[in-house]
Amino acid sequence: MRKLADFFGVLAAAVMLAAAAPALSQQPPPTGPAAQAEREMVQPGNNAPVWRDVRSGAPGYTTVQGIETGVLVQSRGQTWREARVPIAFWGGLLVAVALAGLAVFYAIRGSMGDVEKPGARMIRRFSPADRYAHWLLAISWTVLAVTGLIISFGKDLLLPVIGYTLFSWLAILSKGLHNFVGPILIIAVPWMFFQYVRDNGISAADFKWFGNIFGYFRGKETPSKRFNAGEKLVFWVVLTILTTILVITGLVLNFPNYGQGRSAMQNASMIHMVAAYIAMALAAVHIYLGTLGVRGAYRAMRFGEVSEHWAEHHHKLWYDEVKAGKARQKFADEVEKPATGEARTQTS
Amino acid sequence: MARMKFLCDAERCIECNGCVTACKNTNDVPWGVNRRRVVTVNDGVIGAEKSISVACMHCSDAPCMAVCPVDCFYRTEEGVVLHDKDLCIGCGYCFYACPFGAPQFPQAGAFGLRGKMDKCTFCAGGPEKDNSEAEFKKYGENRLAMGKLPACAEMCSTKALLGGDGDVISEIYRQRVLKRGRASDALWGWSTAYGAPPKQGATK
Repeated sequence: MRKLADFFGVLAAAVMLAAAAPALSQQPPPTGPAAQAEREMVQPGNNAPVWRDVRSGAPGYTTVQGIETGVLVQSRGQTWREARVPIAFWGGLLVAVALAGLAVFYAIRGSMGDVEKPGARMIRRFSPADRYAHWLLAISWTVLAVTGLIISFGKDLLLPVIGYTLFSWLAILSKGLHNFVGPILIIAVPWMFFQYVRDNGISAADFKWFGNIFGYFRGKETPSKRFNAGEKLVFWVVLTILTTILVITGLVLNFPNYGQGRSAMQNASMIHMVAAYIAMALAAVHIYLGTLGVRGAYRAMRFGEVSEHWAEHHHKLWYDEVKAGKARQKFADEVEKPATGEARTQTS
Repeated sequence: MARMKFLCDAERCIECNGCVTACKNTNDVPWGVNRRRVVTVNDGVIGAEKSISVACMHCSDAPCMAVCPVDCFYRTEEGVVLHDKDLCIGCGYCFYACPFGAPQFPQAGAFGLRGKMDKCTFCAGGPEKDNSEAEFKKYGENRLAMGKLPACAEMCSTKALLGGDGDVISEIYRQRVLKRGRASDALWGWSTAYGAPPKQGATK
């Protein structure tokens, strides 16, 4: 009760202040050279207009060459400093919960899907170009995620364990990898996008699929085309939206010699962090399902082929299309050349 | 224990950049880095022009120290904020956080790749042995260890820039302000340069 009363007291005071604000703000405090020149005459020694200008972040004159060297005080760094604490906390928690949730799920449920029988008829699910695009992105992305996490949380989690010298070495390595692997995404993201966009169209069936998301995790999947709605979510949200944001903001941070000021970098950094945590949490689920989570999924991306049974079980509508010859993907035995020599598990 | 601070008297600074030069010379500052700079507000406007020399302010709650991902900053017993270049990874976080633009990065490679951060050390060197060759190479002279004050403040021709124990320099500044009082023409213009006009008599 006491707290509630306090709250309303503060609220009432705030309303009164807000009402009084127009009256108070009728005479804004003087700034600028003219105000200072006048102040110098009537109140010498009182440089308030100059200090207001300094505080506003407006640049003065300086002989020192460089970006924003004329700015005496840039206040937005404080906003950045304060914002990154909750971003790191909630973002880190989101990623940690995602990883822990997947670990618990794996412990309970194990890998989903049936164990494949050798000698099954195979479907060429991913072309070599599909796979190269995916792995270029996947490997770069994973390196960036891991090095980003080391830079973000190493101070709290690793440094107390491995000590200053070793952690600094690890952080230098992480920063170097992060800065040099990052620009690879300029190629990887558009390549991935145009390689996969044809089969990632969104329809009403995708919402039905999401309605049955718990069924999916119990092994009763809603039939889907080449990609199910979960994969489409990863495509549109993680790749197309978040990773594009990460690439743009990352470039602002990565190349400090193009004249962008601190506020651009501070903003880019905050957006980069928020986008990265959401993307990592979603990507964790995608990586889990593509490796440990679903039997045969990793082989599909590694070697390009899935068994008939796998296709029917996980992508029924796509399987029907392949069978009818309507899909772009064909049965492996209908294609002349093997996808990759070493990949042909059923011929060995 | 002394608590080291800089204080720049905007009424006295004449924008000679002596502090900038003294710093660069004393500390052999890396190319492209200026640990100290002089900024002039209202440049060229008579009666409104004020110059202020700025460098690392050795904050009590230093933003650079708070955001550093490798925790390479430390504060000496005298309140000087220093950093360890062996640990620094050149990420730029201190540069984002600092309001004064103190942390700067020499370009270490192509594409503006950041090297080890460099900033004003209050002429107090770094974690190495006092005035060792390694310390000088990374951070410049350790004048505090020699019993001297920062080169910029000692070099200042008008004693506008004061560096030293916060209590001492703020007392000096307070005395100055008291002495100046409200005397209108004692602050700038003719009388500052040539003394008060003889017959009128200077007000206190």
